[in-house]
Amino acid sequence: MTSIPGNGGRNGEPEPATRTDIGVTLVILTVALALWLETTTFEAVSTLLAQNIPPEFFPRLVLVTIVVLALVLPFEPLILKRRGARRRSAPIPVMTWMTATLLAAVAASMAWIGTLASMVLACLLLPALWGERRMTRVIPFALLFPGAVALVFSGLLKVPFEPGLLAPLLGVD
Amino acid sequence: MDPVLHGLMLVAQPFNLALILAGVLVGVVVGALPGLSSPMAVALLMPFTVTLDPVPAISMLAALYCAGTFGGSITAILINAPGAPPAVATAFDGYPMAKKGEAGRALGMAAVASVIGGVFSLLVFLLATPWLAEVALSFRPPEYFALAVFALSMLATVSGRSPVRNLIAGAVGVLIGTAGIHLTTGVQRFTFGVPELADGIHFVPVLIGLFAMSELLSQSRTLDVLYERITSVVIRLPSRDDFRKVRGPILRSSVIGTFVGILPAEGSTVAAIIGYNEAKRWSKHKGEFGHGAIEGVAGPEAANNAATGGAMVPTLALGIPGSSTTALILAALIMHGFRPGPYLVQQTPEFIYAIFGAMLVANFLFLGIGLAGAKVFSRITMIPPTFLWPSVFVFSMIGAYSFSGSLFDVWVMLAAGIGGFVMNRHGFGPAPLVMGLILGAMVEERLSQSMIMFDNDWLRFFDSPIVVVFFVLTVVGLAWPALAPRFRRRAAPSEPAP
Repeated sequence: MTSIPGNGGRNGEPEPATRTDIGVTLVILTVALALWLETTTFEAVSTLLAQNIPPEFFPRLVLVTIVVLALVLPFEPLILKRRGARRRSAPIPVMTWMTATLLAAVAASMAWIGTLASMVLACLLLPALWGERRMTRVIPFALLFPGAVALVFSGLLKVPFEPGLLAPLLGVD
Repeated sequence: MDPVLHGLMLVAQPFNLALILAGVLVGVVVGALPGLSSPMAVALLMPFTVTLDPVPAISMLAALYCAGTFGGSITAILINAPGAPPAVATAFDGYPMAKKGEAGRALGMAAVASVIGGVFSLLVFLLATPWLAEVALSFRPPEYFALAVFALSMLATVSGRSPVRNLIAGAVGVLIGTAGIHLTTGVQRFTFGVPELADGIHFVPVLIGLFAMSELLSQSRTLDVLYERITSVVIRLPSRDDFRKVRGPILRSSVIGTFVGILPAEGSTVAAIIGYNEAKRWSKHKGEFGHGAIEGVAGPEAANNAATGGAMVPTLALGIPGSSTTALILAALIMHGFRPGPYLVQQTPEFIYAIFGAMLVANFLFLGIGLAGAKVFSRITMIPPTFLWPSVFVFSMIGAYSFSGSLFDVWVMLAAGIGGFVMNRHGFGPAPLVMGLILGAMVEERLSQSMIMFDNDWLRFFDSPIVVVFFVLTVVGLAWPALAPRFRRRAAPSEPAP
């Protein structure tokens, strides 16, 4: 119904396909091709069991749809006759990469140190990474917030918490 | 007992009322905080509702949905940063009003217009849901397949940078839904030798990742953003003169919002933008818009809240989500063992009326809470992001893990978050992907049933006039983004080119 007016080329002309759009299309086509090849590895079943709809039929139908749409993507601005100034998106900042790495590290640590300790770790390291230097606030936050969460969710609501592989060594159930 | 009365009595139980109040409080807070949104809050809360009975669980999520839509207006008016996307249009005139010292008047109008829009849409919900469900009872698999395809095609018209990107995101969601064991044949699809994938990819960690983790990564780029905050807030209920000015816009926006909400995939944001545009189009004082027109607050607020009740109609009557948040509520219903659609309405009508009652109570609760506590909620924006987002991460971790007690789901959540962040950067929003994920199973199941019914003859789809109507609507929905600019130019030929 409502589309937010967006990008366009100079002088009010419909914008041409950009390298980014073509790049996105190529990535989608590559992934779609890889997934199509994966569908060829699906176990074959008899027509009777499949009832005319073999297991690879629907995923392939969706992949074809994605491929068709991806091929239209670079021409979309021309089809929609978009005008205006194109804004290039800034590269992903280092902070975002570091945040993603930290989140993955905390998630990985959960298997070893358990949910509660990994929550403490997250509440300690993420503010520090994001530039919070007031340790008088960070440390109480890192101890009290996960403690309160554990009390409410594990204690009262009986939500399961991962004990962690180190729990038996520490004598924790 | 009368099902309406039964449903309302279920809601009236103290425990349920307490959870509705909790949902409203969480909704207003989440709505008020820039970056947090009601879909994110529903995704985060969903796994913790597993242990609750369905009525209180869904009532709380529905109350959160209503209150979250309103909550966004608080920060839109006070700091010019809409707490939630549906409040974008509210900031156009709400913030200029606040700068003129009329923040209390704007907030009062936002609360009252939201409640009027919300209650209007709930009345439509009350009447339309059983009727639509009755109609849908005659649907067979081909009609359902066509309806689901139509709903997916509506993703092309959802606001955003690119209709094609929305459709691709929707198709990716459908594809993700195919992972796991194929129910008809028992064949494993896209499991890549990972045993945990045999059961498929669960909704909950994907939803948490898409809405919470990807936003957390986005926020890591904007840590130095400071908001200019209006502090002197004394909430004022709209005066008689204000009411005279806004009764037209509120009525129009309530109708528009409800209608837009009922359309599959369209949500509160679209409704609010149309509500604002219509308020401006019909106003005698167009020049005041953008500089603090009270109609510019009333129009979008009535529309975005009206869309909440409207969006529940197809969600419950047809099993087709009306917006991204209702897609999550649909997922929560499925998680609680329900199959949303006409049989849910036919077999457990009291459940539908309980949701109606919960949303009605929520509307009046957020009116009271919004009026009394707007000043407090505006202070919530002072929570530093360096503490807020680690808290979101903690809830995300617990939510993803607790759903099935599996660390694999935590990794799925992280992967969905990083994937969602990258997709978002390239214009692929999370909402279409979620719609595809939710509707994918229905599309495949109904297609398979139809093909069995038709003995593999595609052309027999066109034997049903309902299917033909949905296919025509699908083509219109797909073509609309390309046709709409031409219609607009024809409607306003003398308008100078932008």
